[in-house]
Amino acid sequence: MPNKKSLHIESSGQLCVYCGACVGVCPLNCIYLDETRITFDERICTRCEICVKACPVGAIEIG
Amino acid sequence: MVQDLKTDVLVIGAGPAGSMTAKWAAKAGARVLMIEKRQEIGSPVRCGEGMSKDWLNEVGIAPSTRWINVEVEGARIFSPSEKVLEINERHAGNEVGYVVERDAFDKQLAIDAGNAGAEILLKTAATGVIKEGGKVVGVRAKQFGEPFEIRAPVTIGADGFESQVGRWAGIPTNLALRDMDSCLQYRMTNVDCDVRYCDFYLGKVAPGGYVWIFPKADGLANVGIGVQLSQIKGMAEARQYLDAWIAKHPAYSKGKKIDVVGGGVSISPPLKQTVTDGLMLVGDAARMIDPLTGGGIANGCIAGKICGDVAARAAAAGTPSKEFFQQYEKGWRVRLEEKLYRNWLAKEKLCSLSDETFDKVVDALQGVKLEKLTVHNILKAVRDKYPEITKEFEAFI
Ligand SMILES: Cc1cc2nc3c(=O)[nH]c(=O)nc-3n(C[C@H](O)[C@H](O)[C@H](O)COP(=O)(O)OP(=O)(O)OC[C@H]3O[C@@H](n4cnc5c(N)ncnc54)[C@H](O)[C@@H]3O)c2cc1C
Ligand code: SF4
Ligand code: SF4
Repeated sequence: MPNKKSLHIESSGQLCVYCGACVGVCPLNCIYLDETRITFDERICTRCEICVKACPVGAIEIG
Repeated sequence: MVQDLKTDVLVIGAGPAGSMTAKWAAKAGARVLMIEKRQEIGSPVRCGEGMSKDWLNEVGIAPSTRWINVEVEGARIFSPSEKVLEINERHAGNEVGYVVERDAFDKQLAIDAGNAGAEILLKTAATGVIKEGGKVVGVRAKQFGEPFEIRAPVTIGADGFESQVGRWAGIPTNLALRDMDSCLQYRMTNVDCDVRYCDFYLGKVAPGGYVWIFPKADGLANVGIGVQLSQIKGMAEARQYLDAWIAKHPAYSKGKKIDVVGGGVSISPPLKQTVTDGLMLVGDAARMIDPLTGGGIANGCIAGKICGDVAARAAAAGTPSKEFFQQYEKGWRVRLEEKLYRNWLAKEKLCSLSDETFDKVVDALQGVKLEKLTVHNILKAVRDKYPEITKEFEAFI
């Protein structure tokens, strides 16, 4: 997917509070949260940016 | 190697809805297994910790000082210019009641489930559903990282707001932008909160949502915000709105944060479908949060009791079909749906009121001795004081 923007979830704990808001809103179900570990399926994601809005602390960036 | 497991009723998620379901299914005689991906039930807390209390008896929860912080007398609604509308318990129809210690509350419900006979596995996450002949027959799971399978004729998705179980099984639970709030909360000490009230600040301070202050003790409160996704433009807006609100309120800006909580809250109308062959959804996973108040503990527990009972009977009769599960689908709707729908409509309309109108409405209600906050009384008060907004407000009601 050469034209896809990159999506970065800052999940090392500097921003992310592991609340699962992004997981619940992703229409494609491509984010998974396990305690303090976030897995994100790059291939399925359409960069719809819904998770970016849902994240209360701004830990998800699309650029 | 973790061994594959079999059970009658498999519950995914040990929040209030899951524990209630597990407890009532076990009480009805089913072999129950509840799995939870966290290492500690109830922690970290993702909640404002306010709840009403009139439903506790119905689902068999005994109030206990182990999880009740304070019992409040009422709620105060602050209009955009901070005129106050006080609603005591009688008016609010018991919408307010306790501020609780959610981790202790969740643990107590899990204890009740365990004591009723349910097995509980921690550090065990469902990673997908197993389907055979179009029916859900269990889940793939990981325990301490090791994959294994759990098979059960009846699987319950009680996996909260994240709710992947339903989607894995093909039940549409996706939310529209306007049907969800992004939330952030700080627990703050050294604040001037009033332990008699839960406070709600509405209007542009929190577009499509509100700021809440739920007191946990003298000087200690949960200070949080929910903002509607459809009104958010950039990143981290929940945090920005909350920080801005706190900065403008000296009673809270002098406070010290001791905890931060994030999360998503659905503010949607009720789902059309919460069951399929072999699977039922309950609690936040079934989007049962009250769309007006954002509270989901009570509804999750009430539906959980109904769900547990139906699950046990389906397992005993060997009929885990979506037809049989209509008993649950109908049962929870009879108990909760009308209010969910009504409150969703009220929320939609409340979001459309201008700050000015909202201020006037609350102002009109000042000092009016309202025996009961009936629609008629409210309309009359508004008509008497601000006849010019009566029309907009009538449309609202
Ligand atoms: C910031 C915030 C404030 C809130 N304030 C209030 C309030 O004041 N009052 C109120 O009534 N409600 C409030 N709510 C809503 C309330 O927290 C929920 O409605 C309630 O927790 C729902 O209970 P539940 O059992 O359905 O889900 P949850 O309590 O979310 O429990 C789900 C459980 O499932 C587990 N799980 C998830 N996926 C898996 C998996 N794949 N495998 C295994 N386990 C899994 C999770 O770890 C979790 O323990 C608030 C929510 C938020 C985010
Ligand atoms: S951008 Fe859209 S599809 Fe991609 S992870 Fe976020 S919500 Fe999911
Ligand atoms: S919404 Fe933001 S803070 Fe919450 S889990 Fe996702 S990335 Fe982390």
